[in-house]
Amino acid sequence: MERREFIKELVIGGVAIGLSPHLLAQSSYPELAVVTGESPEKITRGAVELLGGMKRFIGRGDKVIIKPNIGWDRTPDMAACTNPEIVKTVVTLALEAGAREVIVLDHTINQPKRCYIRSGIQAAAQSAGARVLLPDDQRLKKVNIKGDWLKEWEVFVDFLEADKIINLPATKVHSLSRVTLGMKNWLGAVGGSRNQLHQRIDEAMVDLAAFFKPAITILDSYRILFRNGPQGGRISDTKLMKTVVAGTDQVAIDAYGATFFDFKPQDLRFLQLASTRGLGKLDLEKVKIEKRTV
Amino acid sequence: MKRERSKKYQRLQKLRIVSQLVFFVLFFFLFIKTHYGGADYLTITVERYFHFDPLLALTATIGARLFFAAFWLSLITLLFTLIFGRVVCGWICPFGAVHQFFSFLFKKTRWLKPKRDDGLSLAPKYLILIIILVASLFAVNLVGYLDPLSFLYRSFAVYFTPFLNMAFSETASLAYSLGLESLGQTLGQALGNLALNNFFQNALVIGLLFLAAVALNAWKERFWCRYLCPAGALLGLFSRFNVFKLKIDPEKCINCHLCSIQCETNARPFPIGEWRSSECIYCETCAAICPTAAITFPLRWQAEKIQGINLSRRKILLTSLTTLLVAPIFKITPHRQRAYPALIRPPGALPEEKFLDKCIKCGECLKVCPTNGLQPALTEAGPEGLWTPVLVPRIGYCEYYCSLCSQVCPTGAIKELTIEEKTTVKIGTAFVNKNRCLPYALGEQCIVCEEHCPVSPKAIQLIKVETLTPEGKVITNLAPFVNVNDCIGCGICENKCVVVDEPAIRVSSIGEQRSEKNRLLLQVNAQSDSQE
Repeated sequence: MERREFIKELVIGGVAIGLSPHLLAQSSYPELAVVTGESPEKITRGAVELLGGMKRFIGRGDKVIIKPNIGWDRTPDMAACTNPEIVKTVVTLALEAGAREVIVLDHTINQPKRCYIRSGIQAAAQSAGARVLLPDDQRLKKVNIKGDWLKEWEVFVDFLEADKIINLPATKVHSLSRVTLGMKNWLGAVGGSRNQLHQRIDEAMVDLAAFFKPAITILDSYRILFRNGPQGGRISDTKLMKTVVAGTDQVAIDAYGATFFDFKPQDLRFLQLASTRGLGKLDLEKVKIEKRTV
Repeated sequence: MKRERSKKYQRLQKLRIVSQLVFFVLFFFLFIKTHYGGADYLTITVERYFHFDPLLALTATIGARLFFAAFWLSLITLLFTLIFGRVVCGWICPFGAVHQFFSFLFKKTRWLKPKRDDGLSLAPKYLILIIILVASLFAVNLVGYLDPLSFLYRSFAVYFTPFLNMAFSETASLAYSLGLESLGQTLGQALGNLALNNFFQNALVIGLLFLAAVALNAWKERFWCRYLCPAGALLGLFSRFNVFKLKIDPEKCINCHLCSIQCETNARPFPIGEWRSSECIYCETCAAICPTAAITFPLRWQAEKIQGINLSRRKILLTSLTTLLVAPIFKITPHRQRAYPALIRPPGALPEEKFLDKCIKCGECLKVCPTNGLQPALTEAGPEGLWTPVLVPRIGYCEYYCSLCSQVCPTGAIKELTIEEKTTVKIGTAFVNKNRCLPYALGEQCIVCEEHCPVSPKAIQLIKVETLTPEGKVITNLAPFVNVNDCIGCGICENKCVVVDEPAIRVSSIGEQRSEKNRLLLQVNAQSDSQE
């Protein structure tokens, strides 16, 4: 490296460190950002901003994978999948933060192409510049999950190859785990006989959450599914909450999400397990939450 | 004498090859387009060419005693044949193109050496036609087995689609093993987008029959067209009055026999006066190959005495009588008396008798089904129902918001449905087998079927169930309870059940709304009516 260039970069670097808020003032950010408002885009942007902006989580040149919930062949107003506008916004935010590539992928339950299209997520994510990939069995790889219950399981290599993972779940009820939020969303990142995971669903969710370690979780609670989960079927099964909850603590986010359905987080077994495993804070009283309306 | 082949007919021959290629590509394009392409409703009528088939039109009309409107297009084919002869066979039919291509290949490889007229009768196809028509008088629908379009499409759907799928995925895995990551990924994505179905029961038989039909070209050129094709036979009957009649100039003819040896359908252009107009498909081979350009097809309106196929009255009568004796056997089956559990028809399927009258086993629905759940029946539908579509939930379930099979059915055997209509159609009912269901039998937790049930409110509700273990412990779990009034029989519960070999929840045809007899609870109707 030329000396002049070195000095130039040194100066730029120094200035960057000086201006970079999160290195000096990380503790000043809330642990959970809860933003409510009419526009899915604005509340998503608002929540990420409260946390210090996407640059805090995504580095320049990162390969980012976003995991929305695209599980079902349902339109957005059924609240069975993540809101497409929110997916689009998160793709944009990741690219704005300097991501080299943004992949959107989910292992759907209904026929993949149908889910990708009817949910509106494929079109939305592509329009923002993401590479939307249909799940491809040949890209499954058996890896050691190192979980308490799950040892070896098939995972889409796209998650292993990515520098950063963004979890982008929907907010729904589920008859076994009671709710399906961020941690349950990981069942869509793996292959194998997923229906067998239901035999120890709580353990499976916690093991997978510990394995995937998202850089940030953005919970779409714009329209939540409070009945007939996890796929609903009627608009009357849903409720508009117009909220996005974002943070890095997977337990706290799911704990907050559970309150939309008037569940006590302490009553949910997977959250107890996760907090015992040290994955995050279960007691919302002890979580620094910042709420805002935009 | 000047020896020169006719430039004009050589050009016409080439044009014919181009035409065959174009129509085959069109066929293949529509075949590939018969899938979920991203819209609920297909934008092109992918099944259109079936409507140009007069054989299908005729049998469907006789069999169902009803004229299906789209078949008016077959009148165009008939009229065209009446005026121009069997041009459709030679220039348009995609199956004809397949046979011609392989005949050409076999001739090139010398497996097939055309000989002078072997005296082999061309009558079988006419007898097959008689069998099909007489059978359809008795409402026994046999046309689909040998109609060329049905045969070709079914073979492609059941044999070629999985073949293509395998080719894609094997190439992808090869690419991955060679480290060609992006090629593997591209192929994988293409596979996901094309939604090529992977598995078909009876593929062995359907695939081998197709290969046999192709292989027979090594014995006789265009074997299928010469001896078997009932649609060609029908067109042959209508082609006797056509205006383009073969003419050999006796001045030029050197009696070389080349035209008759090379004739694809053994229409016998030579000797003079022996030409069988009903067999000629206007491939132009004879006129193009004639070393002295003695053969032409001039426009001649006046009627001529034309050589036909020797179909003795006795043969016709005997065939008809035999069919008359055989056809009813198809109906001597308990299937007509009592519903069969595995006979789950696609949504929109007509009541069974009418369905069998109309279904031509073409395989359009098998091709378009996005989950691969529609399968060609073996024994599920009785002897008449061989290769008709049945839903096999263990292989694939019926997608809630999908009515594609009803959109592509060329004969209306599956009534066209909107998505809204389709979601209300009940094709069967799910039952839990408590002896295998995890919560009931093992005391293990599992709600997979309930989770997947697509109707709202869910047809599968959860109840608390206590299981006593050998240790005397009582385990309480949530377990499925099927509300038969809400269940539409889509089969996703059976498909996703953890007990994969013999699912603990299975759909059977009981309660299907198309049937008056195959009903379960008396109040089912009353309740669903009052709900609406």
